[in-house]
Amino acid sequence: MANNSGAAEKDAHLAHHFVDSEQQFEASKLGMWVFLVTEILFFGGLFVAYIVFRSWHPDLFEQAAMTLDTTLGAVNTVVLIASSLTIVLAVRAAQINDQRQQLIMLGATIAFAITFMVIKYFEYTHKFEYGMLPAGLYTYDGIEHELAPVFYSIYYMMTGLHGIHVIIGIGLIGWLMVRAAKGTFHSNYFTPIEIVALYWHLVDIIWIFLFPLLYLIE
Amino acid sequence: MSLNHVLPFKTMIYTALALLVLTVLTVAVYYIDFPDPFNTIIALGIATVKAALVCMFFMGLYWDTKFNTLVLLSSLLFFLIMIGIILLDTLFREAPFQIYG
Repeated sequence: MANNSGAAEKDAHLAHHFVDSEQQFEASKLGMWVFLVTEILFFGGLFVAYIVFRSWHPDLFEQAAMTLDTTLGAVNTVVLIASSLTIVLAVRAAQINDQRQQLIMLGATIAFAITFMVIKYFEYTHKFEYGMLPAGLYTYDGIEHELAPVFYSIYYMMTGLHGIHVIIGIGLIGWLMVRAAKGTFHSNYFTPIEIVALYWHLVDIIWIFLFPLLYLIE
Repeated sequence: MSLNHVLPFKTMIYTALALLVLTVLTVAVYYIDFPDPFNTIIALGIATVKAALVCMFFMGLYWDTKFNTLVLLSSLLFFLIMIGIILLDTLFREAPFQIYG
């Protein structure tokens, strides 16, 4: 051990109860997938609310969806796809021991995430001005349907919860950048990048479903 | 993917391009008028393909142990049970009770 300090440093991440880095990596990833299952069911409850109310009032959703900006929704979809690509390239950069590329790709991911939130901010404030607010706060008079507030309650809950996930993701990726700058990650240890990337891809997948369900209703 | 598997660069780029093409397609389909349920079915079908692409290549399930795929699919199974049993109620109510004034 004494004359093998280089190897010991390389395995500094390895907890004593794992056989090797491979087993530790696989265990962490399985744990993350179980967490993602709880996330899917967490959003699943909101999708159930959406499906039940749309099956009861299809005309409400057709009318109210007209107030959402399809172009901004589509741009945000593209932005999130781009961010998914950059974070997976950050994982790849760690796999090939390229520290500079890790930082560039993680930085690009944060930039795309912030772009997404800025666009979301303009969408929200535009609706607030017209009084398109959830439930009892609703004051807009441009939609005939008497249950219009119900649509906005569902809209704000689904996109809002998704937005909170994006903000948490920005924080997590910022933390990754700090650690990547210190040179923590290398081809034998990049579990945190991989785990956060899995989370980020799930956030992308949720939006992939939210976009057609909210913005693209006939 | 295992620890020693490096993600293929080209596959990542092609996956992203496929996702972009499908996004354009789903917006294009929105402007075409299909008979009633089919616009929704096509939109959800495209979204499902996109989600599968992200899971397989970005999230690495294609190279991964199949157990992780099983974990993911279990969430879909439980979601279908949840929505299935709830719709058996809400779709077949004689008179939905008033939950809003």
